[in-house]
Amino acid sequence: MTPSPSALSQGLLHCHECGYVASISLVNKPCPVCQSHLHTRIPHSLQRTTAYLLSSYILYIPANIFPIMNVTQMGVTEEHTILGGILSLIESDMLPIALLVMVASILVPLLKLIGITLLLLNVQLRWQRNARLWTKLYRAICFVGRWSMLDIFMISILVALVDLGSVSKVIAGPAATAFAAVVVLTMIAAKSFDPRLIWDNQSPRKSRP
Amino acid sequence: MTVTNALIACPECDTLLALKNVAIRHQALCPRCGVVLYQPRNKSIIYTLSLSMTGLILLFPANFLPLLSIKLLGNSQEGTLWSGVIGLFQEGLWSVAVLVLLSSIVFPTIIIVLSFLISVHLYWRRSHQHLAVWMRCLQHLEEWAMLEVYMLGIIVACVKLADTTELKFGLGLYAFVSLLVINALLTQNVDNHLFWQHITKLRTHDPIS
Repeated sequence: MTPSPSALSQGLLHCHECGYVASISLVNKPCPVCQSHLHTRIPHSLQRTTAYLLSSYILYIPANIFPIMNVTQMGVTEEHTILGGILSLIESDMLPIALLVMVASILVPLLKLIGITLLLLNVQLRWQRNARLWTKLYRAICFVGRWSMLDIFMISILVALVDLGSVSKVIAGPAATAFAAVVVLTMIAAKSFDPRLIWDNQSPRKSRP
Repeated sequence: MTVTNALIACPECDTLLALKNVAIRHQALCPRCGVVLYQPRNKSIIYTLSLSMTGLILLFPANFLPLLSIKLLGNSQEGTLWSGVIGLFQEGLWSVAVLVLLSSIVFPTIIIVLSFLISVHLYWRRSHQHLAVWMRCLQHLEEWAMLEVYMLGIIVACVKLADTTELKFGLGLYAFVSLLVINALLTQNVDNHLFWQHITKLRTHDPIS
């Protein structure tokens, strides 16, 4: 395989769905193989990614401030925030699980928010260095996204199982909605970002549609 | 089952490349950004067919049999995939309930049904007008089916409950773990490139060589 210039500079485009390489004259027309609309780049990629990213930043605050679940045991109700849940795991000597939850529900969302922000800055400010590394960052963000759902699934299991009236009961809190929204919005933000924009800045001819 | 000299564009950096023969158990990497362009799978269609049939059998027990049950002070409670969704719904968190329903029940089910339909058609070389639509849905849903994340949620929930209650694993958990493995194997074995090639050939009524 020999590296060659980008498909766009050769007057070709690539179907996002099925990988079919078509002539640029087919832009905005259905793909001959899979009937999806053909585009050279994801349309309005930067605007859409920014919009999703800003919404997730805003929702990230209530997700961490409000309690994610209320645990009642023997008539005593305790409120747990995301951080509080991790602290109580550490207190009960379950460090590995505490680390797992911390990675999934604090580190991953935070790194995703920062990572997508950096990707957007990279394209906007035309940072020309280390494009390969930036593409790796994009791939990592896409890969880790779904694992943040861990906390939401755990709550759904606890809500179903621990429902023994006043003896023991788990109720999901308002932060659960906000946190779930952060996870979904950052996943959509990563999906709407077009990594080819990183590489478009590399070529001497700045051809960005 | 190899691809010969097809023109492809890298989905992540838009480099135009001629994809040469790739042997099974080898990968084609993009020389510019390093993404895996193509990874042919051994007997992809028949594997997909058999895996999705196994998945169809497992769907019912995994969704409706109890995953876990707890016992506390003489009271016992069972939890299934459904009861978590219903519990969240009853507490008024309908958006989180819908998200959990989609990512743990609906999407994995659709993935298995679609893989079955597509592989049945490709195996017996039957054309169908919706084949391309099914394939597109399948590609988009892969990311949103989160059985493995749910499994991690079950583990964390177990650890949290273990010291205060008596836990029992239900039959549903075994079915769920099998379904999770089947789903993971399925996503790994579907050879998108090969499937699209076959779909294109079926559409144009060419005999598949």
